[in-house]
Amino acid sequence: MGQSVLILFAIFVPILFGVCILAKPGFKTRKSLIATATVGLVVTTILSFAILYIGDMQLELFAIGENMNIYFHADKMGCIFMTIVTIVLPLVGIYAFEYMGHYEQEQRFFGFYLMVYGVLLALSYAGNIVTFYLFYEMMSIFSMPLVFHFRTKEAVMAGLKYLFYSLTGAYCVLFGIYFLNQYTTTLDFTAGGTLDMSKVAGNEGLLLIVAMCMIVGFGVKAGMIPLHAWLPNAHPIAPAPASAALSSIIVKMGVFGVMRVVYYLFGAEFLRGTWVQYTWITLTLITVFLGSMLAYREKVFKKRLAYSTVSQVSYILFGMALLHPQALTGSLLHILFHAVIKSALFMSAGAIIYKCGVERVDEMRGIGKKMPKIMWCYTLCSLALIGIPPASGFISKWYLATGSLATELPVISWLGPVILLISALLTAGYLLPIAIDGFFPGPEFDYANLEKKDPTKQMLVPIMILAALAVLLGVFPNSFVDYMGELVQLLF
Amino acid sequence: MAFVQNVPFFSIMISMFAGIVSSILPAKAARRLNIAATVVIGAMSAWLLVFMLQSDIGYYTYMMGHFPAPWGNEIRAGVLEALMALVFCIVMVLSLMGGLHKLDEEVEPSKENLYYILVDLLLGSLLALIYTNDIFTAYVFVEINTLAACGLIAIRQIGRTFEAAVRYMIMSLLGSGLLLMGICMLYDMTGHLLMSNMKESIAVIMEEGTYAVPMLVTIGLIVVGLAIKSALFPFHAWLPDAYGYSTVSSAAMLSSLVSKGYIFLLVKIFYRVIGLEYIADSKVLNIIFWFAICGMIFGSMNAIWEKDIRRMIAFSSVAQIGYIYMGFGLGTEAGITASVFHMLMHSATKSLLFISAIGLTDASGYKRDFFEVTGAGYRNKIAGAGFLVGSVSMVGVPMFAGFVSKLLFAEAAVADASWRMFPAIIVLAISTILNAVYFMKTVLRIYTPMPVEEEQAKGYVCIPWKQNKVYAVVIVLFIVLNVVLGCNSKPIIMMIEEGLRNFM
Amino acid sequence: MNQYWILVAILLPIVGGISVRFLPYKKTWEMYVFLEAIMITTSLIVWGLILGGPTEVFHVVHFFNDLSISFKIDGMTMVFAGLVSILWPLATLYGFEYMEQHDRQETFFMFYSIAYGVTLGIAFASDMLSMYFFYELLTLSTVPLVMHTLKREAILASRKYLYYSLGGAAFALMGMVFLMVYGDTLEFTLGGVLSADKVVGHENMLLWIYLFAFLGFGVKAAIFPVSEWLPTAGVAPTPVTALLHAVAVVKAGVFAIIRLTYYSFGTEFLRGSWVQNVVMALAMFTAVYGCSRAVKESHIKRRLAYSTVSNLSYIIFGVTIMTPMGLVGALCHLVCHAVMKICSFMCAGAFMHQTGKKYVFDMDGLGWKMPIVFCTLTLSGMGLMGVPGLAGFVSKWNLAAAAVDSKNPMAYFGVVCLLISALLTAIYMISIAMRAFFPPWGFDREAIAGSTDPGWKMCLPIMLCALFTILLGLFSSPLVDFFRDVAAGIY
Repeated sequence: MGQSVLILFAIFVPILFGVCILAKPGFKTRKSLIATATVGLVVTTILSFAILYIGDMQLELFAIGENMNIYFHADKMGCIFMTIVTIVLPLVGIYAFEYMGHYEQEQRFFGFYLMVYGVLLALSYAGNIVTFYLFYEMMSIFSMPLVFHFRTKEAVMAGLKYLFYSLTGAYCVLFGIYFLNQYTTTLDFTAGGTLDMSKVAGNEGLLLIVAMCMIVGFGVKAGMIPLHAWLPNAHPIAPAPASAALSSIIVKMGVFGVMRVVYYLFGAEFLRGTWVQYTWITLTLITVFLGSMLAYREKVFKKRLAYSTVSQVSYILFGMALLHPQALTGSLLHILFHAVIKSALFMSAGAIIYKCGVERVDEMRGIGKKMPKIMWCYTLCSLALIGIPPASGFISKWYLATGSLATELPVISWLGPVILLISALLTAGYLLPIAIDGFFPGPEFDYANLEKKDPTKQMLVPIMILAALAVLLGVFPNSFVDYMGELVQLLF
Repeated sequence: MAFVQNVPFFSIMISMFAGIVSSILPAKAARRLNIAATVVIGAMSAWLLVFMLQSDIGYYTYMMGHFPAPWGNEIRAGVLEALMALVFCIVMVLSLMGGLHKLDEEVEPSKENLYYILVDLLLGSLLALIYTNDIFTAYVFVEINTLAACGLIAIRQIGRTFEAAVRYMIMSLLGSGLLLMGICMLYDMTGHLLMSNMKESIAVIMEEGTYAVPMLVTIGLIVVGLAIKSALFPFHAWLPDAYGYSTVSSAAMLSSLVSKGYIFLLVKIFYRVIGLEYIADSKVLNIIFWFAICGMIFGSMNAIWEKDIRRMIAFSSVAQIGYIYMGFGLGTEAGITASVFHMLMHSATKSLLFISAIGLTDASGYKRDFFEVTGAGYRNKIAGAGFLVGSVSMVGVPMFAGFVSKLLFAEAAVADASWRMFPAIIVLAISTILNAVYFMKTVLRIYTPMPVEEEQAKGYVCIPWKQNKVYAVVIVLFIVLNVVLGCNSKPIIMMIEEGLRNFM
Repeated sequence: MNQYWILVAILLPIVGGISVRFLPYKKTWEMYVFLEAIMITTSLIVWGLILGGPTEVFHVVHFFNDLSISFKIDGMTMVFAGLVSILWPLATLYGFEYMEQHDRQETFFMFYSIAYGVTLGIAFASDMLSMYFFYELLTLSTVPLVMHTLKREAILASRKYLYYSLGGAAFALMGMVFLMVYGDTLEFTLGGVLSADKVVGHENMLLWIYLFAFLGFGVKAAIFPVSEWLPTAGVAPTPVTALLHAVAVVKAGVFAIIRLTYYSFGTEFLRGSWVQNVVMALAMFTAVYGCSRAVKESHIKRRLAYSTVSNLSYIIFGVTIMTPMGLVGALCHLVCHAVMKICSFMCAGAFMHQTGKKYVFDMDGLGWKMPIVFCTLTLSGMGLMGVPGLAGFVSKWNLAAAAVDSKNPMAYFGVVCLLISALLTAIYMISIAMRAFFPPWGFDREAIAGSTDPGWKMCLPIMLCALFTILLGLFSSPLVDFFRDVAAGIY
């Protein structure tokens, strides 16, 4: 135990805060609610940074049953995800304090928000697949109320769709876990995989099916085709802070799951060159392309961003599917960058809705004149996402593309970068026109009725911080790249 | 020769004389005489049974008159005969007592002593059928039995019973005719009328292979004749009305005893005249088997469709007779053991059902419609209990008689392991389900309370058991009989097995 | 404890139940106290027997040949008797409050109590005939409970229940007869009782018979073609549906199937035969079928009943794997499902009792009005889905582990069915929770204004069952180890 009890605190403090907020019949003033939520966010953030500082700690809690240990292990990979969570979620939370003031039942929102925070941290620390699965399910369930917060009919349907897709994925994963239980030496995550080759011999075909099942299962959360349909429904319908958290963090947990399964249970060696790898790569490439296409055609702003998420997350999956160190580094970088960028984008979309009430892209002409600060942040983030140097997206895409070329897989090694490039062009195509039309509305624009509508600092500052990060991470990437490079070396 | 060995002769004579004496007695005295005679005969049969079990002679023959074996007339008694006589007496006296209170309404006072004459004759002929060793004597008593039974049906003078009695008479006489032809042909071939002598000659004939076709025809005639009389499936058309509309005691006796007498005769013919191995070889058994199987299904189906509660029970008899013949159809000793046990069980249960059904209809304004007996189990508690036990036994819940016979049938079928096994097993199961359907439907119906207002509007009243103590005691005794057969089946089965072994 | 205590355990609730009708109590609560005392005493005796009972067979009534009514205590007995003895007093307590407004309470509790004794009889039965006897009695003693309301639909339902059950028993009986002829004994023996020399040449026939007997007992376990009675029987008062149609009666069917498969025919004989594939396919199909019907059903109790249909088939799936591990999985789900389903039925009953409504769409917003009921309902729903940390996950894990371990491709597919049905379970259980806690905007607030949680007599059993669900989910190891010993024949 010792220091590692911190892990428990980091997980259960926010969950307890969340439960308390939910269970309390009503706060006297809005301030006291926000104060409680703030305390929860801050304490958790401090705790998790403490864990990050101490590094590599393990906590064996207890066994549900044989081979079913609740076990936490804050390893390097976990720390990456934990960092992302602790950067993005508190910032989005601060933004939400203002944003949610608009709507009813914010108490419930913050309750679930905090619980999701705890669960996400738990996912990052999960040391074996059972623990991971436990919190993965909890994440699906606790984040659902965030999706259907407005409780309109579409919202509820989207929430349910989200849940049932997630559960479908989760059960695919569970299917795999059942088999892994039989064919591995341990279910604890171990770099390089834990397959028990003596048992596997002769059953490779079965295990490949299992692996595919698990990849597709986790791929649901990551919006990978064929089970991506929930994402463009669920993300836009949620309140903007929730969309930001969903799109930037929660989808990453699907990615994280795939990472854990492929690199920590099966091991890259086992899958390299098999039909699973090819299918997986194909699926990701299709997703990358189609996501961008659909985003390009979409007129509702938040939906466009959601499709963009579909496409971008599959960049990450593509990098992982290549089973190559350099590509994997690119993936890890893109996980970080995309989380930062996409949350900033969603928050700016939220700010526009919040202040101007426009949701469609074609109504947003001149928006840059009304909300210049927001639109500046938006533009910076867009550039980063497209991958224009020196902003962050460039670095990750560079690693992805070079990694792909280095794999020497037939066709894919060059087709991958080509598709990434096309998709980057499409990204530019669906993100930049908003900024251009926003800043240069053209001569017909009615300048007379123009009023500054930039939101308060509480909303603005988190967006600005994230936008700054989006650029700065690209400018000074070295420490991250080194850290990830080290990590990646362990996995091959 | 021990004195007890005179019991068979005395039994037949007592019942016959009781009948004759009754004709000059007033109704009440005739009734007392009849009950006393039956009780005495029952007690004597029990005595005989005990004697037979203790002695190791197995069976004995008893010469009637002074002519020895091939020419004279003989009585033969063993464990099985004594057991049958005992059970028949018990069931008879209980059936009679259970229906007594209805008799005054259903039978003209001037004809009441006639009723007891008929009952006495019935008992006498049944006992004769059980004990006789002479096939022509058997035929004579079959006729007496038929006539007595017709009288018992027709004595309730309503249109339906006349029709039923006439129908019964015609069918029954047809059966008797076939039986007589069979007996004639047997006599023709063997030159004997005593069963044991016939068997010896038949063994010779069969060895030689002559008379193969006539023998087949004979077996067919006898089997079909007795099957008609005992209402095996396609020949059962007379049964529902005869049982459904006659007085309750008659119905109970007819269903539980009369048909059993014929069946017992058939068992005797199988074992003692023709020999089980020849019967099993002939194709006649296959026909019986399929008829029985159909009877088990169709009897129950008809019972399900029936709305008249007494006719429903009557149709159930058709199914139960099917069980018995199925046991024969298996052609093995185990099968016949099961059939004989089923005869006992069915006597005890079916009469219980008839008697308790009358209690239920009495509590429902004498209406016999299925829907009218709603809640009757609460209005007449003792009858309800009787019906419940009877039904449960019929459905085959362990600890009750029906379960044992079902188990025996199944075991016989399984042990047989020929092509007959699967149809037998499956139909047993299906017919159990069908039994459950109509009996349990009725049980649920009688235990579903009728709304008080409706009850009052229709004028249905509660009948406490104190109102008719005899009836209550009868029902209780029947229940006890059922449970004894169900829980203590081991000695009874052993007796049947031993008796059948001695038949060989 | 000596063997006569078994008789006491079985007869005490039967006699106690019957005496309810004759006792001169003045107030209803006196009857409640009396009954609860009987239930608890019985349960204590049962636990005494489990912990320190006799091991030899105890013959009570002897029929003919080697047929008798006899009892013994083995591993399966411990599992089943232990389970019902914990749940019965709780469900009775719940019943007291639920039945307060009903007529004819004495009759109800009389049969409720009798059913306890009879169920224990099934658990303690040492051979096929004894079990069959109590199996039939269970049908008969529970019919009055189903038709308790005496409404037309209740009577029809009880009739259906009766026909199905008795009919199934008839087929089971035929199976028993074959065991009599082809087996050495009827007494339950782990590994089967078939006699090798008698069986030779009749293998295929015996497999057919196993199928029939399986379907016969499968009636109570609500296997697909014969499952329809269970949802219909949901018209019974909730204590009945909760305890009997989620635990005692249906589990008796499963119990009988386990006895038939592992203790009579023997898995050695059945494994790898075509009949294994058939029964496994039936179980798999039912698992999915039950769930999909549940999704379509909006009557809350019928929905749960269909869910029971599906979950029972999980257990049977475990049984049909026909390995010791399969038995472990089956037993595990037998216990876990009992706890979860009784909890959810009790919650549904509380909802119906407090509001007088029956349908899922009447639940809008009630979650905040009746927090205990709906939190536990959600919890048990999540348990049924198989959320880790709750009982359902553990049992599914064990089932799946057994399926994977069996190396039978059909069983792999069974795991898929398990998961599909888990997804469907999520759909029908979560949608209840959604309605209760997050009703659509602008629902009718007035309609639920007066609803509150029920009194302690209902809440206590509900909460205890919820607690069991969590405890089983978190600390399953001792129980699973015990099941493993049972499957290995140590008890």
